[in-house]
Amino acid sequence: MEFAAFIVFFLIACTLAGVLLGISSLLGQKRKTVREMDIYESGVNPVGSATRQYDIKFYVTAILFLLFDVEIVFLLPWAMAYKETTNTGFMIGGFVFFMVILLVGYIFVINSKALKWEE
Amino acid sequence: MLEAAIEILLKTVVILALPLGALPLIIHVERRGAAFMQKRLGPNRVGPFGLLQPLADVAKFMFKEEVHPTHVKPFFYTAAPVVALVVALLPLACIPVAGPIEAFGRTIFPEVFRSDMGIFFAFAVSALGSYGILLAGWASNNKYSMLGALRACAQMVSYELSLSTSVVAMIFVYGTNDIHQMISSQTGYWFGVIPQWGFFYQPVAAMLFLVGIFAESNRLPFDLAEGESEIVAGYHLEYSSMKFALFFMAEYIHMIALSALFIIMFFGGYSLLPGFDLIAGNNPALIVVLQVASLVIKVALMIWFFVWVRWTLPRFRYDQLMNLGWERLLPLGIANLIVTVLFVYFRNR
Repeated sequence: MEFAAFIVFFLIACTLAGVLLGISSLLGQKRKTVREMDIYESGVNPVGSATRQYDIKFYVTAILFLLFDVEIVFLLPWAMAYKETTNTGFMIGGFVFFMVILLVGYIFVINSKALKWEE
Repeated sequence: MLEAAIEILLKTVVILALPLGALPLIIHVERRGAAFMQKRLGPNRVGPFGLLQPLADVAKFMFKEEVHPTHVKPFFYTAAPVVALVVALLPLACIPVAGPIEAFGRTIFPEVFRSDMGIFFAFAVSALGSYGILLAGWASNNKYSMLGALRACAQMVSYELSLSTSVVAMIFVYGTNDIHQMISSQTGYWFGVIPQWGFFYQPVAAMLFLVGIFAESNRLPFDLAEGESEIVAGYHLEYSSMKFALFFMAEYIHMIALSALFIIMFFGGYSLLPGFDLIAGNNPALIVVLQVASLVIKVALMIWFFVWVRWTLPRFRYDQLMNLGWERLLPLGIANLIVTVLFVYFRNR
């Protein structure tokens, strides 16, 4: 039942965005010239394609984000479960062990200069 | 069944209308605020104090020519602004504007999506924000757009890490994921005057979260997705008329939603501002009204803070931004989490 409410919210939000787009394409001025349909590159003629090679740092950042974010996702249920357990020592031990592994990984990442942007 | 459907529809309309209705006002405050800080007047011609200027802008957006360039990927080019706006609206679904209301013989929760995993859900959907941006940059098939989208995305994911560590610390402190429980544990006062807000338990987490909001919503000093002298307008460079407006709206709504989450976790959400509880007394209807007013005032102050920062600080350089995110804020967030956990453990032993 609660999730149905969310689906309704989602559909209404989609409709709203669609209606806004529809309004401007109906009411908008229609005067097309050839030049304005071209790629915008500050007024000069476009050079080469946009699907060229980009810096690999962006890719590395995304991969590292995935690794660290998964670690944080593991911590969220842990933080919730802590209050309900009686064996807190075990929970803390697990946490410290997990954090040590995370720290070793983090130090490796920083030392490998994977995230150094200035050269 | 019918009653439930009407309730859902009503809540949805109200929750969508509040931020969308406040948007023109926020944009006006932003422009007048900028003018105020730069010692000029700002828009003051249309209507009293220029208040009708945003409406004139909306009308202009509608009648502008919709350029649909030939080099773009048509489907994704049109889909990207829709994705951006819808994803920005989603976290609002689980933000309560007031406490549970006892009326018509049952308890009504004033949020669209009632869940005991509210915070978790809100961050899950607000993290989708990078998809709209990446889609726009890629579908535009323009070098500036692509670079802007890549930058924006890398920045958003980097700052999401420190933001998430502060969320973990807060969930650990409260021991719950339920927004209503989180807020009810923040009501009450120390010495009768200082409200027991999460901010006073976790100032470091609050700072990390605040910086994270600025980076997530691509606001100055972190608006590296734009840069007039290098990549022009970034990912929405090839967009015009209402399509551009949707990105613009998405940015502001993302700001509102994240501010509301910040308020919920660190400043007591809809819990009454100091002094309001004296006015409210025991009148349940008045309490609800004042709760809504408290939330609106807190969020409005946050929005003013955004404007204030925007016209005060200059933009970072990209390598400074990434270094700050990965080498300062992330270790700080992890250290804060470890200290919090060990403190709670040794205090309760």
